[in-house]
Amino acid sequence: MEAFRLWHYDGVTAVRRDVALAAEGEAHFRLTEPESGWTGEPVAWDDLTVIGADKGRSAYGHRALPGWRMGFAGDAPPDIAARLPRAERYGRWIDRFGLWQAAAAFTLVAGLVVWGALEAPALIAPMIPQSWENRMGDAMVGDFGGRICSTPAGDKALAALVARIDPDAEARDVVVANIPLVNAVTLPGGRIILFDGLIQQAGSPDEVAGVLGHELGHVRHRDTMTGLVRQLGLSVLLGGFAGDTGGYLNGVLSLSYGRKAEDAADSVAIAQMRAAAISPAGTAAFFERMGGKGEGANMERAMTWLSSHPLSADRRKRFEAAVQRGAAYRPALDAAQWRALRRSCKSDPSVEDAWGRPF
Amino acid sequence: MTDEVDAQASFAFEGNWRDYAPIAFTNLLLTIVTLGVYRFWATTRTRRYLWSNTRFIDDWLEWTGTGKELFVGFLMVLVLIGLPFLFLQFGAQALVLQGQVALAGVLTIMAAFTIFYFTGVARFRALRYRLSRTWWHGIRGGSDDAGWGYGGQYMWRTMVAYLPFGLLIPWSMMSLWNRRMNRMSFGSEPFVARGRARPLMKRFLLFYLAPILFVLLAIAMADIYGGELGGGIRVTSSFPPILRIIAFLVIFLGVYTLLGLIALAYYAAFLREAIDNLSLGGLQFSFEASTDDWLALFFGDVALVVCTLGIGAIFLQYRHWKFFITHMGAAGEIYTDQLAQSRTRTDRHGEGLLDALDVGAF
Repeated sequence: MEAFRLWHYDGVTAVRRDVALAAEGEAHFRLTEPESGWTGEPVAWDDLTVIGADKGRSAYGHRALPGWRMGFAGDAPPDIAARLPRAERYGRWIDRFGLWQAAAAFTLVAGLVVWGALEAPALIAPMIPQSWENRMGDAMVGDFGGRICSTPAGDKALAALVARIDPDAEARDVVVANIPLVNAVTLPGGRIILFDGLIQQAGSPDEVAGVLGHELGHVRHRDTMTGLVRQLGLSVLLGGFAGDTGGYLNGVLSLSYGRKAEDAADSVAIAQMRAAAISPAGTAAFFERMGGKGEGANMERAMTWLSSHPLSADRRKRFEAAVQRGAAYRPALDAAQWRALRRSCKSDPSVEDAWGRPF
Repeated sequence: MTDEVDAQASFAFEGNWRDYAPIAFTNLLLTIVTLGVYRFWATTRTRRYLWSNTRFIDDWLEWTGTGKELFVGFLMVLVLIGLPFLFLQFGAQALVLQGQVALAGVLTIMAAFTIFYFTGVARFRALRYRLSRTWWHGIRGGSDDAGWGYGGQYMWRTMVAYLPFGLLIPWSMMSLWNRRMNRMSFGSEPFVARGRARPLMKRFLLFYLAPILFVLLAIAMADIYGGELGGGIRVTSSFPPILRIIAFLVIFLGVYTLLGLIALAYYAAFLREAIDNLSLGGLQFSFEASTDDWLALFFGDVALVVCTLGIGAIFLQYRHWKFFITHMGAAGEIYTDQLAQSRTRTDRHGEGLLDALDVGAF
């Protein structure tokens, strides 16, 4: 029987040797090259690592000696084969369980991770100290690029509206911005910004009160923070760091809080209006008017309150149903106050133009 | 212990796509179910297969990189570059909102330059990483340079290249290639790269036909809309609209195809010049892929991906490696008893930077 021969590199030079393997004691073996008389150092079986074992070609390395290699073509004699380490295929963990079991387990974990990424923000957001959120909101918004409308009469009217809807001053700041979009946003730090376009579009102060109450709901439930945490989490999860210059302001402005959060915010709006004896009928009318434009005005819808506050007949009906027969409703603002609020942006001489300065 | 090496027989790829398919498909499956995390291990399995089926002279290459080190490299980039960047971005947004537009601009430009710098560093380090994990005859490659200086070189040489109407781009590309390769070694032998930019100029000047092509494009555009070109030139057409649209599409596609062809022809010439002037000890490398070969590769890629509705993309890495090795050659002599082990330092982490910045090693 011909002796089993292997090839060998010592990792010091590139010289290839044609060697025989002889066991030495229980735990070691030694390689020798009979033709040249070369003899290697004893090597422990346990130090062997697999470099490759494919297509009838096997190669092994040494745990502590970089470049040390031995290998052979075909099959090794059983006594040697039994001592050789087994090759990894998909990776150590996956090999242990088998491909399909591992794939199933990973699918389960992946599902949990995705679910967690969607659900966790609502749990994490309330744990972030309010003071952090306030500071962050202030840093992000500042004076909104000088676009905040302020006149003595307008400010007084707005304060009167806020006092009725938000008597406990849960929102830190409510302002009107000189931007002609039918929109209102809640920013981190409990700041509500009503866009002038919304106030001009509204038929009565009651409608603005409804929107304000809704935004107050987002403040109370910290929905903005939840949305931010979710966005951050998703960008980390998806490794979306590279090249993402989308910007966080856009992120905040286009945050959608989800159906549940919107419903909850509507509940707050209705409760606050009831407590303040303001009729929800105006808000219902507002929904109807905005929805009446139909699907045709898509571009416009994308830029309005409706894009982040999906319009549905259900929501309109909910506000309609909240109207109590025989209740003694008072308008959210009297006529003079309403006029002052509507003129707030037009008569503020120092306010920045809507698109005059970049965000 | 010497081997006379014949250029064409020196490099050979002996893999087979049917052998590779099980690796490619299980990689795809595992990458999906792990939400992408497995991709580092997938890359490693793919490279192990490709390297171990690549014969150089009398023995196959070995890839000893691991998925774990690629993963660690990715995490390092995430923490060291990704997080600061996120805050920078956030800060710039906040500054703009507060009216500090100038300061925000400075911050943004600084961020862009940082990315620019690290792109250069990443190219260098990716090559170093790949060489340090590539073994042949029990010997590996590497570099003692960490690539920080190369990042600076990359920045100024790339910027200068664009100053005189981009005429220095071939010089910039080739000098950067030389600079990168000259810092690399395999075993005890350093690579020597002496690529020249001058032989590339003829191909490169073809790019300057592009403005003429764009004028053609503008005419075609004006043709459709009956518009006016600059300088009061009015284009009118008596063709029926459908013919005009077809003419427009033909010219439009033609311009872009031509530009793509020029780029391909230039790149083919670039790699030939670069690798034909690369040596290691007594070995002279060569690369003989012509523009036609690149075209075949490119259209093969497109056909493969389109015809399989995208799934064929998992074979692209295989195709590119095979293309590279098939056209690679080396001639000269190699003394295996004189080729000693590399003494370069190896990092414990992989090419995370490159992965994050999405640039290739070549």
